[in-house]
Amino acid sequence: MARVRARDAAAFEALYDAHHRLVYGVAMRMLGDVAGAEDVTQAIFLKIWSSPHLFESGNFAGWLVRITRNRALDVLRSKSYRHEELPEAQPAEEMLEETAFAHIDADRVRAALAQLPPEQRDLIELGFFGGVTHDEMARRAGIPLGTVKTRIRAGLRKLRAALEGTVSV
Amino acid sequence: MPQHETMLDDVAVYALGSLPPQDAQRVRAHLDTCPECREEYEQLRPATDALAYSVEACPDLEHGAVVASPLLKTRIMDRVRREAVVPPRTNIAEMRAVRPIVWPAYAVAAALLIVALITGIINISLSDQVRQKNADLALTQAHSRLLARDLANQRIALADLVAADSQRYGVAHGQVVVHGKRLYLAMDALPPPPKGKVYQAWTLRSGATRMSPSVTFVPDRSGVAVVSVPVDASRIAAVAVSVEPDGGSKQPTSTPTFVLKLS
Repeated sequence: MARVRARDAAAFEALYDAHHRLVYGVAMRMLGDVAGAEDVTQAIFLKIWSSPHLFESGNFAGWLVRITRNRALDVLRSKSYRHEELPEAQPAEEMLEETAFAHIDADRVRAALAQLPPEQRDLIELGFFGGVTHDEMARRAGIPLGTVKTRIRAGLRKLRAALEGTVSV
Repeated sequence: MPQHETMLDDVAVYALGSLPPQDAQRVRAHLDTCPECREEYEQLRPATDALAYSVEACPDLEHGAVVASPLLKTRIMDRVRREAVVPPRTNIAEMRAVRPIVWPAYAVAAALLIVALITGIINISLSDQVRQKNADLALTQAHSRLLARDLANQRIALADLVAADSQRYGVAHGQVVVHGKRLYLAMDALPPPPKGKVYQAWTLRSGATRMSPSVTFVPDRSGVAVVSVPVDASRIAAVAVSVEPDGGSKQPTSTPTFVLKLS
């Protein structure tokens, strides 16, 4: 990112090559159409190019995921794809204690997700990719709100534990 | 359920990003004052970030080859290159022409100061170099993973091309090969495109009325090109190839080399 801040096009291209699959994949899953996913991907990377100072330090991939998800939520809002309430955007500027999963890849996360009970996995995916609030999840699944919350928490804890071997601090 | 346990459940939903705005504000305010909930949040947040990798656009043919259009990168990089800064070159001759003036009375003190400055500069420079090397290493690792993935794709493609149960369609200068959801162009004796031009593949999704742009390619010197078209072949009604300007086009600008309807 230091070289990108110095307006180095080659460094930016390498950054795009390394990360665009993550951005495009999240946008594609959330919006479900190629044109929308390409628009979000283009907006995210041009934002990084024009305002690289927005990323200060910490887990770059985590930050990238947050701003991509927020942008896709904005598209869902602006297009009025849905009528129910959408969740609040996740704070992108938030810096945790630099905790991230090292050497993580799609296969490892898919395997960890596959280990979750379906009733937990479905709610987690619906919340993260579907941009659905916990109230809406309870309504759709026909279960109490408290059950939705406890299932999400239990699922995230299991997911964390399954990926624990790849945690770096 | 104890009240604080309920709050911990809310923290998990907040980490997932699924709380409505008013609830999210309440949890965020609580996190500022509650170390236990803050720790829970910091435990769960990386797990939600990791979820994104499960849908990472995947060039692996086994996963349906969901990839961004190469034209997307072209569009982005066109703008980036226009705005990029060319690194300034140091004019050595000018530097040599400027000679420092030193007064004898201060020579020793000045020398000590210069040594201290150089030491400081070296320290800063070394830490910058370490950071730079770490960044370069991360990029190299990312490229290594991509290379490994490309190799795996090539092995799959080779197996598909020789598989007895693959469907083969004869077209001008080669074949279109379909194996399951994967689709390849196996071109032979394909003439080199004119200067500044490339070949570009086009696909027509079932039910669509317009061709979608796909990968660009050029054959090798013997006219051979084996191209994996990143598309779910089971949803494709037709495939075509045309000659286009380098970088590809959004819609065909020349008469296609071939158009094949898939049965």
